[in-house]
Amino acid sequence: MESLHPRIRLLWIARGALAAVVLAVALVVLDQWQLTVPTVAIGVVVALALVLVVAYAVRLYQVWRFELQDDALYLERGVVTFVETAVPFVRVQHVDTQFGPIERVLGLSSVVVYTAGSRNADVRIPGLTPDRARSLQETLRELAVESEAEDAV
Amino acid sequence: MLALQRGVTGFSMPFFFVMVAASVVDFVAIGWVFWLAPIGFVAGAGYGIAHYYRFGYAVTADTVDVSSGVFSRRSREIPYRRIQNVDVSQGLLQRVLGVAIVSIETAGGGDTEATLHFVSEEEAERIRSEIRRLTAATAESTAEPDADRPGSADESASPSESTRRDRPGDGATPTQLFELEAEELLLYALSSFRWGAAIFPLVLVLFLTGSDSGSGLVPAFVFDAARPFGGPATLEGVSIGPVLVLIAVSLVQWSVFTYVSSAIYTVANYYGFRLGRAGDDFVYERGLIQRYSGSIPADKVQSVTIAENPLQRLLGYAGLWVETAGYGPDSGDGSQATVPMARRDRVHRFAENLTGAEPSGFQSPPPLARRRYFVRYALLAAVVVVAAFGLAQVSALERWYLAAVVFVAVPPAAHLRYANLGYVVGADHLVIRTGFWKRRTTVIPYYRIQTVATRRSVFQRRLELASLTVDTASSRTFVWGTPTIYDIDLETAREIHGTSRERLQSALRDRARTDDIGLSVDFT
Repeated sequence: MESLHPRIRLLWIARGALAAVVLAVALVVLDQWQLTVPTVAIGVVVALALVLVVAYAVRLYQVWRFELQDDALYLERGVVTFVETAVPFVRVQHVDTQFGPIERVLGLSSVVVYTAGSRNADVRIPGLTPDRARSLQETLRELAVESEAEDAV
Repeated sequence: MLALQRGVTGFSMPFFFVMVAASVVDFVAIGWVFWLAPIGFVAGAGYGIAHYYRFGYAVTADTVDVSSGVFSRRSREIPYRRIQNVDVSQGLLQRVLGVAIVSIETAGGGDTEATLHFVSEEEAERIRSEIRRLTAATAESTAEPDADRPGSADESASPSESTRRDRPGDGATPTQLFELEAEELLLYALSSFRWGAAIFPLVLVLFLTGSDSGSGLVPAFVFDAARPFGGPATLEGVSIGPVLVLIAVSLVQWSVFTYVSSAIYTVANYYGFRLGRAGDDFVYERGLIQRYSGSIPADKVQSVTIAENPLQRLLGYAGLWVETAGYGPDSGDGSQATVPMARRDRVHRFAENLTGAEPSGFQSPPPLARRRYFVRYALLAAVVVVAAFGLAQVSALERWYLAAVVFVAVPPAAHLRYANLGYVVGADHLVIRTGFWKRRTTVIPYYRIQTVATRRSVFQRRLELASLTVDTASSRTFVWGTPTIYDIDLETAREIHGTSRERLQSALRDRARTDDIGLSVDFT
């Protein structure tokens, strides 16, 4: 089982922190316009949110695993709901590598695997080095072509 | 025929424009309509004519080509092998004029891939049978030579090893499989509840009160209806009791209207339902005012579902639906009725013949699951009580503790949810049953599995339970949800997870050899 690059935690923390900032701004706005929210309360709420975010990111990093098995891409992830997903190679429609602005700064990249399904239609593996992402994309593509079946949909 | 198309296109566009213009302008000044509507009409007619001249389609040897667009051009080629279903619909005016709309669906994408507005009836029929013929032809040319098996007479005798690559005279008149009889239609209409119909009464009320807007926000008849039961005459300065009565009476009215409009909607949509087969395709026809017809290729069917609500179960009836990856003509998702309503044993037999799987011998999740639902519903009931308490604090509501009555419903609710859960791990299929109010028994051929996921929430982990989600290719639907086996032992879940994956692989190998689609067209 392969785990993600440790720097992914920074990405998740950054994202969470952004949400916390938005929450803080919302609270301040509420304070200004509607009812008075004590500054201490705002501080406590935001600090609590930040702690949660960090704990969540650390835990998520600990549980995130993926593996290329002989017939499928297998992933394990989730803090609140733990999900084990198998994506058979035959079902892979196409594979992307993506990276957003924060990911670029951190030197990370994601691989997104698309299937024709309805619920887990796109499976994202975040927190890969660009090299690993590219090689994974390559491997998945080869495996998908190799196992190509008669028309799935 | 061409003139007819042009006429209808030219006409219907401005009608639409006039209607939009009128409703928008209404709020500003009604007088504007008189000079805006003609402008809208002319612009619409102009656009319609331009659209008509810029629209072209062709049915070629291996694709359907459609090019369209007045301002920005788009041309699209759809390979036959990718076509999911072809639907033809006709509104009342269109039936009078003898024209129809043809929609061609493929998997993926947000909506219908190609819509041919207003072709003549014969042309629609020709396009459909042509697409069916050519789809079959491309499938045959890629299939192995032994795929062609002769004869259709002996097929129904062996539903288990069923694939039927026979196409006796392509485009031949379809063999009838099922016809919805009047009593079945009536039963279906009266026993199915479409929540979507709840907006009909609202629209009606809006429409009616639009003309005499003197009663304020709440129309007068709402008060009139509630008054005999102790409702208030106005909304100003009344105590909470009469308001509750008003709300209750209005809700009853609303539900009755919703029920009636839902029944009318169902009758109008499923009147004269007929299902047949033509080659390897299902063909259907239905509708009273608006006619729908179409074809569903059997090898595009992803899963088969038996749907039944408590009332239908009581009467011993059920419906059979198939799901494809395309979009249905009116439901907005890929599920289409093959048998809207029939006696339960008949539906079960159909499902059995269609998939070769027997929807019986269900296994239940462990009793621990029931305890979980008990706790879940008890928490929900507690929330209701707390809400009532909160309401009592801010309003004149007394005896909030009477809300505790909801706790009585908790044990039966938990039990019913548990009792309706079931699954069968078959040789070729996974059968999943779930739901009390809308019980669905879904048969998924292993061959159709896209992804398998074992999910465990915090609470499930504590109880060592897991839910197994089996995803198939289908349009994103929020109404039906992904087939899931809820709350089974973690060990069992892992086992089924592995089994599904293995059987997907072996089914793929088998299929590559025999070209078996695992579904029988002749299911009745």
